[in-house]
Amino acid sequence: MADFLVWAIWIVTALACLGSAVAVVSFGNPFYSAIALIGNLGSLAVLYLLLAADFLAAAQVLVYAGAVMVMFLFVIAYLGGQADAPWAGGPTWQSVAAVTAAGALLLEIIMVIGLKAGGRLSDEAEIREAFGSPAQIGRLFLTDHLLAFEITSIVLLVAAVGGVILGAQSREEKRGEQSAR
Amino acid sequence: MREAWWISIIKGFVLINVVLGAFAYMTLVERKFMGRMQLRYGPNRAGPYGLLQPIADLVKLIRKESFFPASGVDILYIASPVVAAFTALLAFAVIPFGGGWTIFGHYVAGQMADVPIALILLFALGSLGIYGFIVGGWASNSKYALLGSMRTCAQMVSYEVSLALSVLGVVLMAQSLSLTEIVAKQHATIWFAIPQLLGLLIFFVSGSAETNRAPFDLPEAEQELVAGYHTEYSGMRWGLFQMAEYINLITLSALCVTLFFGGWHGPFLPGPLWFVLKLIPILFVFIWMRTTLPRLRYDQLMRFGWKVLLPLATLNAVVTAFLVVLVD
Repeated sequence: MADFLVWAIWIVTALACLGSAVAVVSFGNPFYSAIALIGNLGSLAVLYLLLAADFLAAAQVLVYAGAVMVMFLFVIAYLGGQADAPWAGGPTWQSVAAVTAAGALLLEIIMVIGLKAGGRLSDEAEIREAFGSPAQIGRLFLTDHLLAFEITSIVLLVAAVGGVILGAQSREEKRGEQSAR
Repeated sequence: MREAWWISIIKGFVLINVVLGAFAYMTLVERKFMGRMQLRYGPNRAGPYGLLQPIADLVKLIRKESFFPASGVDILYIASPVVAAFTALLAFAVIPFGGGWTIFGHYVAGQMADVPIALILLFALGSLGIYGFIVGGWASNSKYALLGSMRTCAQMVSYEVSLALSVLGVVLMAQSLSLTEIVAKQHATIWFAIPQLLGLLIFFVSGSAETNRAPFDLPEAEQELVAGYHTEYSGMRWGLFQMAEYINLITLSALCVTLFFGGWHGPFLPGPLWFVLKLIPILFVFIWMRTTLPRLRYDQLMRFGWKVLLPLATLNAVVTAFLVVLVD
């Protein structure tokens, strides 16, 4: 019963994940694309839940489906979501190239997973009690992955400072325009 | 001990109805108190003391025309109040309101779902709930609704940051993200309202901004925006938005009780009763603030959020972290 439930949820979520990913690139209206992307990130979170990574799933929803995508929607709603689809008027060489590149990537991923983890995928992984708990993730951040963690925080800090500088510049320019009038 | 699945279903049904009832009578109590504070009676026609007013309101809302703007986006327009109400109701599932009981040999837990990451889950649900407001405003295809939803978006995103940071102090002291463990830790030591007074104040202020309550009700400033993001909504769809706002407020107050005032623990009386007794004063303060304080200007609101609350919340978290390590 429980196994059947897990399978059912997995199939529904996996299909939703793929479907919403296709929807992101095929909608003409960017607002719909953004909403499809939210659906995609949400279904990824459900897949994480199935893999017993509760914390990661909640963080995925909180950070990506929540905070990041809100900014996307905000900007799209402000700029008006009526932009033409970039592929209006039939496929161009760009869209052909994009589909080819995506196909190549997919093939590559399948090959790598098949070669690296071929035998191991068939038997179930053992999951310990503390797997994916906030405490364990925190410990890993401060020991094994300290460098990546610190670099990420510096990159984010740079981005924040850059945002402030860009915002302050445009305000000064506006002030300059006003005094010139 | 695990409870049987059918107990969970019954409990969920009861809990949802209790929360919905609390929402209905919260609107009545708010109107009554506001009336008294403004030297008038408030609703007093439907039933004794106006006690049937929420039911009359509900019947009125259901029977009203569900207006649909000609240029609106149908699916999103209809789905967004549902999303808002659904996430608001769902958030209550992780709040503990009792220690668990054994009734006729069946174990009943004191909350719907005891997850170790309850706090993050609550914030995640809150951040999903914002979509109901933004998408609803966008899908109505009206400038007032769009401006209102833009304000909602900017305000909720800004204040969510300080709300999450204000809670960090509590998490550091309890050393857990589980609400059950936070309550247990407070029972073993003291209410976190005392050592985390600054955190409590920041939580309260950013919470009232997060739930769009006065003096932070910019998204629906009626003098400027008609009614904000739900301008084009009527009937029960509007009712769902209203419900989402009030239930968010109740959940936030319940979270405040859980994080800062010892949750359901208290002498003599049973847990759920203590929980409600602690909840009522907090809800009252929210109503009180609405009648007392005038609305902020939009730039004041943003400046306050980013330049006052956020640094204070960060400072609180950093100082708490130092103290926790020092005491250890």
